[in-house]
Amino acid sequence: MSWIVRMIVVLPALAALAGLLARRQRTFAAGIAIGVSAYVVVIAFTQWVAPARAADIESIGPLSTGGLQVPLHLLSDRLSGLVALAVALVVVAIQVFTAWYLRDDPRYGQFAATVSLFASGMLLLVQASDLVLMLVGWEIMGWCSWLLIGHDSERPEARRAAYKAFIVTRVADIGMVVGLVALAVRAGSTDLISVLTADGHETALTVGLVGVIIGVAGKSGLIPFHDWLPDAMEGPTPASALIHAATMVAAGSYVIARLFTLYVGHDGARTLLAVLAAATMVYAALLAFAQTDLKRMLAYSTLSQIAIMLAALAAAPRDIGSAPAVSHLVGHAFFKSLLFLAAGWLSVLAGATALAALRGRLHGRGALRWSMGLGLAALAGVPPLIGFFTKDTVIDAALEGATGGGGARAWLVVVALFVTVVLTAAYCARTWLLLDTPLARPGTGTDSANDIDIDAEMPAHVRADATEVPETVVVAEEDVAVVTVADSADDAEVERVRAHGHAPITLAAALSVAVLAALTVVGTLLLTSLNGALHIGVLTALLSVLLIAGGAYAVWTLSDRGRHDVADRVPGHVRDAAVRGFGADTAYLGVGRAVTAVARLVVVLDRDVVDAYPRATAVVARGLGRAGERSHRGVPSLSLVGLLVGVVVIAVLGVTAWR
Amino acid sequence: MIHLQLPAALAALLAGIGVYGVLARRNAVLVLIGVELILNAANLLLVTAGSRPGAPFSAGPVLTLFVITIAAAEIAVALAVVLVLFRTTGSIDLTAVPDLTDEPEPEPESRPEHGSEVRS
Amino acid sequence: MTTRDIVFAAVGAITALSALLSVTTKHVVHAALWLLVSLGTLAGCYLVLGQELVGLVQLLVYVGAIVVLVLFALMLTRAPIGPHAEIDTPAWQRVVGAVLGAATTALLGSLLLPLFSGATVDLAGGAPGGGTPAIAQAIFGTWVWPFELLSVLLLVALIGAFTVSRLVLKREDGVRPRPREVRR
Repeated sequence: MSWIVRMIVVLPALAALAGLLARRQRTFAAGIAIGVSAYVVVIAFTQWVAPARAADIESIGPLSTGGLQVPLHLLSDRLSGLVALAVALVVVAIQVFTAWYLRDDPRYGQFAATVSLFASGMLLLVQASDLVLMLVGWEIMGWCSWLLIGHDSERPEARRAAYKAFIVTRVADIGMVVGLVALAVRAGSTDLISVLTADGHETALTVGLVGVIIGVAGKSGLIPFHDWLPDAMEGPTPASALIHAATMVAAGSYVIARLFTLYVGHDGARTLLAVLAAATMVYAALLAFAQTDLKRMLAYSTLSQIAIMLAALAAAPRDIGSAPAVSHLVGHAFFKSLLFLAAGWLSVLAGATALAALRGRLHGRGALRWSMGLGLAALAGVPPLIGFFTKDTVIDAALEGATGGGGARAWLVVVALFVTVVLTAAYCARTWLLLDTPLARPGTGTDSANDIDIDAEMPAHVRADATEVPETVVVAEEDVAVVTVADSADDAEVERVRAHGHAPITLAAALSVAVLAALTVVGTLLLTSLNGALHIGVLTALLSVLLIAGGAYAVWTLSDRGRHDVADRVPGHVRDAAVRGFGADTAYLGVGRAVTAVARLVVVLDRDVVDAYPRATAVVARGLGRAGERSHRGVPSLSLVGLLVGVVVIAVLGVTAWR
Repeated sequence: MIHLQLPAALAALLAGIGVYGVLARRNAVLVLIGVELILNAANLLLVTAGSRPGAPFSAGPVLTLFVITIAAAEIAVALAVVLVLFRTTGSIDLTAVPDLTDEPEPEPESRPEHGSEVRS
Repeated sequence: MTTRDIVFAAVGAITALSALLSVTTKHVVHAALWLLVSLGTLAGCYLVLGQELVGLVQLLVYVGAIVVLVLFALMLTRAPIGPHAEIDTPAWQRVVGAVLGAATTALLGSLLLPLFSGATVDLAGGAPGGGTPAIAQAIFGTWVWPFELLSVLLLVALIGAFTVSRLVLKREDGVRPRPREVRR
């Protein structure tokens, strides 16, 4: 069984290498990527069904260091089986979708290879029983996210977004590395079991736990490290689906879930996590409500949902454990990747990602409409979709934590959760109404029949209306002002569609979206494998359903049944600031400038203060030489005086000293 | 039978006179005369010390002969230098020697001088 | 005080006096001539001490060659005839020189006189240390290497004097020396 675990980790890496070498042959690269990820699904399923329940699977053998044990083990248990399966399913869906989505991209091969490498990094993190391997997987994902976000590297916005993501997460990774090192030193070993069972050294434990929280805050986008995520929408949509739905942003939750036994005993670290998560949850949900771009809305929604996962870890009591967070991780992976892929599909059809340009596009689109609808419903938490079950498990766990002695920390999380439920329902309803309510167009009546049916009989008839070119869209006048430059987060997609036109979606890509939609519906069954992943309290379930219904209804009425964008009621300047993230980007630049200024100060100090002394010896020597030369070339008569005075003085000294 | 304190005292005296001669004169050749007096004082001391019974290898007289030789060589070169000085400047006043150089004269359009700072 | 002592004292006095005159006279050429007297009487001192070879070599080389060379140099550099006021350095420098000279004499005297107190050499049995044959033995025996090196030194000095005298120097301020009139 242990070879399965190693295969799960190694195969995607090999696929990445092969894909990189074969990047110019499109079909071959696609074949490797899709084939290997499909096979990884199969073996991940095997692990899910029958995990080896071992934490000492050898990978490349222990590293021989001095006092620190580095055994580099892999593990396989129910938790890793579930998460690995979820990741593998999402990855294969994304690979299939990408084969259609980037059909005209000359660098598709690199993209697919990077996705494979990313998957191997995440799977390494999932299967790792060793802090070093976790860190390796963590770093691989960080680098690959830079590659993926900056895929359209000719565009400066994409490059900037990639650098921003990389640098912000890297700064937070300082905390991660310090934290993991502190934990390893405390235990004398990097093995996960040793770390979890070590005791003593309270300072090292605190440093370790807080450091890991900081690292997780970076990659998962908690305040103050959150602003990279909305900007990362510059990457192609499948990259967003991969990074921001299933893998990188959720990796932090997984790490903390693994270290949960350490966190449970440490109230201070959990309070920090609770505060950050609660703040991010509500803040991101509010901003998602105000966004004018579909992908950015989804990005803020991701921030909010990840914060829910982390809040579950911060509030859950010891007996419930980390299972609620993991279940929401799995649920979020499914419905968020579904949403991103559907958004990508929609943007190809409509040629834009700005909500104003997408208004009413979903209406009558068949499979796409249902997929998007299911995704939004799952995000809001509508029963019986997976989102309902996972979110309710989290709320229930938080309540049990609050009533079971969690104190202010857990109550804060509970309150934030309920507020977020309302807000999530609100922005989901808004999005649905915006996308689905058709606009009345002057002269053309309602949309012409252009059902996209995934009828298997005639793929050739699957085609979007050729007149759906952006220029003929007439938007209601009051919406024109909202369409600003910042609206379209994915300009590349707009350009791509305008350059190549939109081809009909292939059956395979549509199927991948459908599979994710199906998982959103029935994925709850997967969760049953993990103890404590499904725990519904009847009262909390009722309360959350009421809150969802209330929020949706409020949006429906306020937007006049979908005819207006309800977020237009937000004052203009607040709305604009919210779209841009309330100046977080400027704050990051300020931090960067401050650090650069300090660095320049250090350089000046080093060069002019510390370095001055060695250089001074040269300067002094040169000066002495010049002075000597000048005195030598002076009046010879006076030189003789100096000479003889010196001789006599030395002679007197010598004689008297000798005596 | 001679008391060796007398030659020793004479040597000390000559040395002092020679030092005065070096410092009190402007003319380069007269300075060299002072140097000669110092050398002779040293010679006398060598001879005196070598006269003591038990002086090994006849070091006294031999070294004196060597010093005389060296003095001859030295004054030849020194006077050559003085003559060049006279030829160039027209006087051998040691209190007023102008700066001299043996570099060739620079061309009318001299190259721009490179700065001598080292940029770190 | 033996006879030799008195003789030595007399000759030594002349040596010292002529040396003093040599460094204080205002006549340039007289300085060289007084040097001649001083070095000649010093040769006499050597003879009194019993060192004949050294005394004779002193006469030959120092008086016969070096002082002559000095006189030639003085003539070639157009030494002024008659008393020359500008012959001495500024007064303060002369004072320093006198102080230094006195210090040198005092230093050497305070070292040597106690060292040589009571030292006598009996010259009745021939020159001390064996005389000229002994010196010859020593030179070509113990001191042969320095002797050879000295001949090399003389060769080097010869070539050096040639080379130096052929140097072409220029004043950095560009003034050419003008031929000096013979001054009274």
